Amino acid sequence: METSFGITGKGYVIIAADTTSARSIIKMKTDEDKIKTLSPHLLMAYSGEPGDTVQFAEFVERNIRLYQIRNLYALRPAAAAAWIRRALANSLRSRKPYGVNLLVGGYDTASTDPHLYWIDYFGAMTEVPFAAHGYGAYFALSLLDRYHDPEASLEEGLAVLRRCIDEVAKRLVIDPGKYKVKVVDKDGVREVEL
Amino acid sequence: MSIMDYNGGSVVAMVGKDCVAIASDLRLGNQALGVSSNFQKIFPITDRIYLGLPGLATDVTTLKERFRFRVNMYTIKEEREIEPETFAHLVSSTLYEHRFGPYFCEPVMAGISKTPSGGIKPFIAATDLIGCLNFAKDFVVAGTASEKLFGVAEGLWEPDLEPEDLFETISQTIMNAVDRDAYSGWGCIVHVITKDKITTRTLKGRMD
Amino acid sequence: MARRYDSRTTIFSPEGKLYQVEYAMEAISHAGTVLGLLAKDGVVLAAEKKVTGKLLDLSATKEGGYGGSGEKIFLLSSNVIGGLAGLTADANSLVNFARTAAQQHLLAYDEEIPVELLAQRLCDMKQGYTQFGGLRPFGVSLLYAGYDPHYQFQLYRSDPSGNYSGWKATCIGANNGTAQSLLKQEYKDDIEVKDAIGLALRTMSKTMDSTTLGSEKLEFAVLTLDPVTKQPKAKIYRPAEIDALLEKEGLAKKDDDTEMKP
Repeated sequence: METSFGITGKGYVIIAADTTSARSIIKMKTDEDKIKTLSPHLLMAYSGEPGDTVQFAEFVERNIRLYQIRNLYALRPAAAAAWIRRALANSLRSRKPYGVNLLVGGYDTASTDPHLYWIDYFGAMTEVPFAAHGYGAYFALSLLDRYHDPEASLEEGLAVLRRCIDEVAKRLVIDPGKYKVKVVDKDGVREVEL
Repeated sequence: MSIMDYNGGSVVAMVGKDCVAIASDLRLGNQALGVSSNFQKIFPITDRIYLGLPGLATDVTTLKERFRFRVNMYTIKEEREIEPETFAHLVSSTLYEHRFGPYFCEPVMAGISKTPSGGIKPFIAATDLIGCLNFAKDFVVAGTASEKLFGVAEGLWEPDLEPEDLFETISQTIMNAVDRDAYSGWGCIVHVITKDKITTRTLKGRMD
Repeated sequence: MARRYDSRTTIFSPEGKLYQVEYAMEAISHAGTVLGLLAKDGVVLAAEKKVTGKLLDLSATKEGGYGGSGEKIFLLSSNVIGGLAGLTADANSLVNFARTAAQQHLLAYDEEIPVELLAQRLCDMKQGYTQFGGLRPFGVSLLYAGYDPHYQFQLYRSDPSGNYSGWKATCIGANNGTAQSLLKQEYKDDIEVKDAIGLALRTMSKTMDSTTLGSEKLEFAVLTLDPVTKQPKAKIYRPAEIDALLEKEGLAKKDDDTEMKP
């Protein structure tokens, strides 16, 4: 019942993910952070096969960090997303593929605009104004079709996110519970309370 | 449910009089769930070759990047652009390299080739997912709406269409075919290639 | 005994020098001059050709291709042009390596390789040949003139030891000291490409052995941003275009000098 959302607005990207860590029908943990900060202006929400998720996210995190240390500047969101996508696409044809779905959101400091990428565990990637993974996607995407505004302020963006979270809580058989919400804009990454 | 239909998408290419056209839909789906209405699956290879890659989206992107690598190296070393026939064989051999674990894409290409006498000749081709080339003289189709595309194209296409008429023919073909396919649609893009100009238009489509 | 520290490239002399690397640099200081100039809105490369003569077949350079005559200036990537001084055969191998490295970056990150990273890629390899035994270092210095969104226009220089550094204006090959002191006097920080072209040509005309400049002795290239697409656009001049440029700058040779007329 994992759910994650990504919403772009005027100069920012919001990434939100539920905080439940479950095994079968049991909730093991309700404060899991499933959003990694890959670089000063880059966020990645991950979900999918337990085990693979953290393993792959840390692999990505360290490689992006290594690039930044070697080259003294971070990869731009588009380049980072392309690299991550390729890692998943290569993994798909390996002996044991990673089963990890991602939302990569970042603020490009060179071109000064926000970017959001939807990536599935096949390595299919597309840039989108808003995105969702998991069962929540079936409810939230139609809501976002109606209410998303690429020029919305952060407050308006968070209000739309609130709608999505409430809808999923109301209609999904199991409420994913609490969400962690992070925002990336020209000032970098920060966590916000809904 | 075939892996070829997982993300959906369709491409068609047609020959006209001294021109060619290639068109695709813009949908990217996750089975029946639509994810993006701006997923490009036609890519410019040179100034007068376009390549359409319908199929599994991960392989669409991987193949696009691999072909760009190969064509750039070819261009920079040969100091000239690749010819459509040569490119078609590059596509074919790249796919056949993966004969027993293929990329799930069926490329469609359209371009204008030069004849030895200095004239030009419209060129279209398509391959299956393991690189079997099909050099058609009229039109080629691929993707989840391929059956419908065959039907509409068979009815609408005629030889020696001028660029404007070819645009109308291919637009009607792709739009009406993808409207009958649940996995394709969400808008279309059409490129018409002539000797010295490429016209690109995006078409609004049904969003259901 | 004097040659004891010459026999292998990877052995230090008692003074702490790698003789083979220094010989390689010496070889380059006899090669054709290559000069680079960083301007506000672009980068300029000019190079002196050494292989000339009226029997040399240059038919290919007049028509197709990217321009240039394939001796000194090469397109390394769509955003980087390279100017090479030194052994031509080594240079060709490095050009091929650079082009492959640029395309591999494009494949991995779906973006053009940043200019400094390309310089680093080549220098990593060049350095390797000063440390691992049995092989000779590359007898080539390079200028990299490029653009990337991180630092906009850039100019780098690398030598056979694998050192590289960024410059506003620099020169490699024969008479590079003269050229660099000329550039130091003339260079202004906010120079524009149209003025940089003139400065590059004037400096070349003063440093080159021959008294007159002409397309048979010169290669020339400019990297700017396309005004419409805002993408980097490399232009390597064809022989006829170089002659036209020299004419414009008032540096063309006089008509009575007909030796190399095509």
